[in-house]
Amino acid sequence: MDCAASEISDESLISAIRTGNDAAFAQLVGKYKRRVFGLAARFARDNDELDDICQNVFIKVYEHLPSFRNDAPFEHWLTRVAVRTCHDALRSRRHEKNNVRLDDRAFEIQDKAEKARDEARQAREILKFALSRLTPNERLVITLMELEGLTVKETAAATDWSEANVKVRAHRARQALKRIVEEHNER
Amino acid sequence: MRDKADERLDQLFAAARAERIDTAALEEHFETRLLARIREQRSESIPWYALAWRMLPAFAVVAAAITIGTFTFAPTRSNDLFAAISGDQDETASSSYLIGE
Repeated sequence: MDCAASEISDESLISAIRTGNDAAFAQLVGKYKRRVFGLAARFARDNDELDDICQNVFIKVYEHLPSFRNDAPFEHWLTRVAVRTCHDALRSRRHEKNNVRLDDRAFEIQDKAEKARDEARQAREILKFALSRLTPNERLVITLMELEGLTVKETAAATDWSEANVKVRAHRARQALKRIVEEHNER
Repeated sequence: MRDKADERLDQLFAAARAERIDTAALEEHFETRLLARIREQRSESIPWYALAWRMLPAFAVVAAAITIGTFTFAPTRSNDLFAAISGDQDETASSSYLIGE
């Protein structure tokens, strides 16, 4: 987070943006871009898609800022916009599961010094593969709760789903992931 | 009831959580790229349907002006119904005479 940007409150920046101050918007983006990039990176396939998702998030913020009410923290609103945009990106590529393949050659270990790092990388690749087999809703909920560490309440707020719905979807997603990982281990 | 698969899954989650994806390179000049895209969107030409929608008040004013003009400058109608009918009859008779009927 940029120190200079963090000194100015969100309310001040938002007020300035509403008067057409693009520099204030750039400051607001600079303040929160790391948070948005971190979240979007969990869903994006590559750097191009990541950049695209992040740009879409902030364009939506820019366009809908006039309707933003200051009764809730800006960061919560931004997270909701980011989650929705990531969800849209997931839904727009439903055929991804047919294209993603686990490349076993990627897991060949070059030497012992790299063993631990490669194991961690292998774990991440397996999870990435397994997540790509889930439905957009399942992937969204499991990513927010298990990887981003959001609570059920926070996930419900970010997705506009009920808490009961979040719990059910998280349970289903976990069961689906377990099946996929077990299938992978059997191979 | 937790089983081995749950433990394996938790290991995978832990490995993924531990990984902080480095996006620093992409974050460089992100604001510049974003503002350029916003400016580009602003300068894009307005589609015809949006233009038509924006012109709606102007269309309404023109329609109202025509309506008012029609009622204001229309020729006054005669209250003498018989004169109007006989006038029409004269016209019909003269045109019939001219074309030889």
